[in-house]
Amino acid sequence: MSTQDKVKINKLPTGVPGLDEIVGGGLPEFSFNIIAGAPGSGKTTLAHQFVFANASPERPALYFTVLGESAIKMLRYQQQYTFFDPAKLPGAIRFINLSQVVLAEDLGAVLEQITKEVEKANPAVVVVDSFRTMVRKPNSDMELQSFIQRLALFLASWQATTFLIGEYAEDELRDNPVFTVADGLFWLRQTPERNSVVRKLQIVKLRGQDSVPGLHTFRITDAGVQAFSRTFGLTGHAKNPPSHRRLSFGIAELDKMLGGGVREGDSVLVAGSSGTGKSVLATQFIAEGIRQGEPGIVAVFEERPQAYAERATSLGLDLETPQKEGKLTILYLRPLDLSVDETMHSILDAVQKIGAKRLVIDSLAGFEMALSPGFRADFRESLYRMIFALTGIGVTILSTVEVDESFTEFPFSTYSISFLTDDIIRLRYVSIDGQLRKIMVVIKMRGGNHAKDIREYEITSKGVVILGKRLTNYQGLISGIPTYSRRSDSTEEPSLDTGTEHKT
Amino acid sequence: MTATPEMRDLVHRLLTYEAGAGKSSEPMGSPALRVYEKLRQSLGELVGVAGFYSLASRALALAKPEAPSLGKARVSADGALQGLGEIETQFEIDKNQAGDGGIILIARLLGLLRIFLGEALTLSLLRNAWPGEAFDDRNSAHGRKT
Repeated sequence: MSTQDKVKINKLPTGVPGLDEIVGGGLPEFSFNIIAGAPGSGKTTLAHQFVFANASPERPALYFTVLGESAIKMLRYQQQYTFFDPAKLPGAIRFINLSQVVLAEDLGAVLEQITKEVEKANPAVVVVDSFRTMVRKPNSDMELQSFIQRLALFLASWQATTFLIGEYAEDELRDNPVFTVADGLFWLRQTPERNSVVRKLQIVKLRGQDSVPGLHTFRITDAGVQAFSRTFGLTGHAKNPPSHRRLSFGIAELDKMLGGGVREGDSVLVAGSSGTGKSVLATQFIAEGIRQGEPGIVAVFEERPQAYAERATSLGLDLETPQKEGKLTILYLRPLDLSVDETMHSILDAVQKIGAKRLVIDSLAGFEMALSPGFRADFRESLYRMIFALTGIGVTILSTVEVDESFTEFPFSTYSISFLTDDIIRLRYVSIDGQLRKIMVVIKMRGGNHAKDIREYEITSKGVVILGKRLTNYQGLISGIPTYSRRSDSTEEPSLDTGTEHKT
Repeated sequence: MTATPEMRDLVHRLLTYEAGAGKSSEPMGSPALRVYEKLRQSLGELVGVAGFYSLASRALALAKPEAPSLGKARVSADGALQGLGEIETQFEIDKNQAGDGGIILIARLLGLLRIFLGEALTLSLLRNAWPGEAFDDRNSAHGRKT
């Protein structure tokens, strides 16, 4: 039998933003699925989204309610979601209450009732909510096993895609005949993390599909369930080939220090203590990109977009006009229970919307604070996934990070994340001649030469301005407390590191 | 608070429809009883017998102060109206003297549906129970706009 003879399984849209990506492109048609989780985890809402996305008058959905939430209350609450289309009821979506037969009779009668309704309606989708209340009845495991198998067989034969919804605890996953028979098992969790609640979704099994493994964050908003794949929805995106193009900061001396600018697709870290000009440098980077026709995104966490744009204006940089022209988006991401995946989703949406080439994250500390405490533990890992995903599609990322100024150490970041970045620019204060001045040094450039010079700079009304040549009259500049060494000012050009990679 | 004029208006339309469609030889010849039974059947599928009982008994409790003639009426566990003889007599009166008893009870029942489900879903359910009748915006539970 050739490859062409293999059966093609149609994939149905889940109706849940982000979930199609996670399940491998859509839900297999005629599959028999279980949505499991604790009360309040979003099971019913997820099922409703699938039903509303797939039901039609020709192939309706049958939604059997049993002893759980009453249909009246369910409809009352579910219609608050934007996906809920009242016009689909009852023509395309029919709710059928099975409580009487479940209470009064046995599982055989329940199956008979479902069979009768399915044969009458020829549905494309069948939901039983809550299935758990039904299977508490059987007198023996064999009766339950028999019921499940007959139900699964019947519904698949009638070409219905099925969801059974049930409240299950984690420890019930083993040796459960329901889970054995199911083609797909969706497990929804909500876990308290200090004062936040984190919702996560796992595709425990999904036959015939290349689903994305692991726990995926999801959120329930007025649009219903929205899932955020761990792969950030970039599975199908082609990776951009490595670029040799250099991106300018708009600061000629800094570009020289960087060997011509930041390599396109790099992740750049600008580290320094408070007031050293990290945000100014980031703003100049984004403004220069716009000037050169490269749309940009600025994700801010510590100040509002208006304040960010006004501060740029004080540096002679116009961020208002490019925003109006759709060349710049300033994202304000401040909620305290964000996940990295949600943040990424917002950033990716913005990147795709305006075709952004440059992204500024200002700052990583603010980013971390915006996350739910539960996600902070995974911050480095999440950051790695995010940077890898974004740079893979050719976006150049500049992140700022605040480091504690020390006169005994020269740290690059407080997150031990320097390995995540291709390039590091370190800003710091030094005490010289009774003044607190600022110096800048390029610590690392992966895959490129860079200057080894330590340069003094000032923040003026034109932004960061690098002064004179490298500082040759002082020893111990990076300690912050240099000593004067009585050498004449250097007139040398920036000296470039000859190595291709500066290990840090 | 009484049954709204819009709801009464809607019930009148259902009664008129049933009066035109009904046969006098049927055991439950009263249009109002037929409307009630259709609602019981249609809503029973959605909310179950117990669910319909709860709604109907609440509607009856709300209707009784407005219609003393319903004083002896009861909703049985299966959702049917008990004290049928007296109520049917009342409903027969309603056929000619719209505005009391049965109309108020059904108006209250539909009013509860609108409270819980909203107008759009309520009308969808009515369309399903009375496929031949048009329940559009002009003749909605908000009242006739023409």
